[in-house]
Amino acid sequence: MSKKNDVILKVLHVISWVVFIGLCTEAGALIFNFIFSLFKPIASHNIYKGLDLSGIYEKQFPHFISLMSFVVLLAVLKAYLFYLVVKIFLKLNLVKPFDIEIAHLIEKMSFEAVTISILSIIAHQYTKRLIHKGYEVSNVENYWNDTAAFLMMAAILFVISQVFKKGIDLQKENDLTI
Amino acid sequence: MPIIVNLDVMMAKRKMSLNELSDKVGLTLSNLSILKTGKAKAIRFSTLEIICDVLDCQPGDILEYVKEITIKTR
Repeated sequence: MSKKNDVILKVLHVISWVVFIGLCTEAGALIFNFIFSLFKPIASHNIYKGLDLSGIYEKQFPHFISLMSFVVLLAVLKAYLFYLVVKIFLKLNLVKPFDIEIAHLIEKMSFEAVTISILSIIAHQYTKRLIHKGYEVSNVENYWNDTAAFLMMAAILFVISQVFKKGIDLQKENDLTI
Repeated sequence: MPIIVNLDVMMAKRKMSLNELSDKVGLTLSNLSILKTGKAKAIRFSTLEIICDVLDCQPGDILEYVKEITIKTR
């Protein structure tokens, strides 16, 4: 492998760690603020980076719980997705790249991305219904406006995982050619 | 698989151990073991050539085709 590609891979590895840590921080902050807001209603005015759900907190507490559950769940799932990316970088061996463990990780990432997009669609529909009912919750939409990107990511990852599986078969055959 | 590798038979006929064959052929012990146990998916002509040369035999002495018989049960 060329030195340029080696550098690019190292940079990507560092970026994936940064993104993973960022997502973990976001998920942790959201979980903490969600739990904190259950005991101190004032916290619902600014849950995370200006997310204000105080209106729905006062009027319909169960809806607040549901919305926050979606936000927290999606944040945790996105963090886990990037944990899988970091894990792939740790396991990647470019001398023998076709490894069954990496294929499983890519497949897992694909299913994870599908789960995120399905959950985002459900959350989006739920928010739409709440907005239709007259609740001011449009600022929470930022947490699930990347549904299409995750769906596309899932499809691409699934194709890559299938190509990887074929690669494993070819590598195995090559290894057993004496 | 219907292709049977009779390397062990030929080695026994020539009274040659796996270590000795490995030294003479230049293949690793693990690769020869894969070949001997029939786990190999394919064999290169160059490998076959050198094995035949060392064991003084024909490819047919090492490789054998046995037709698979499928038993139908009702």
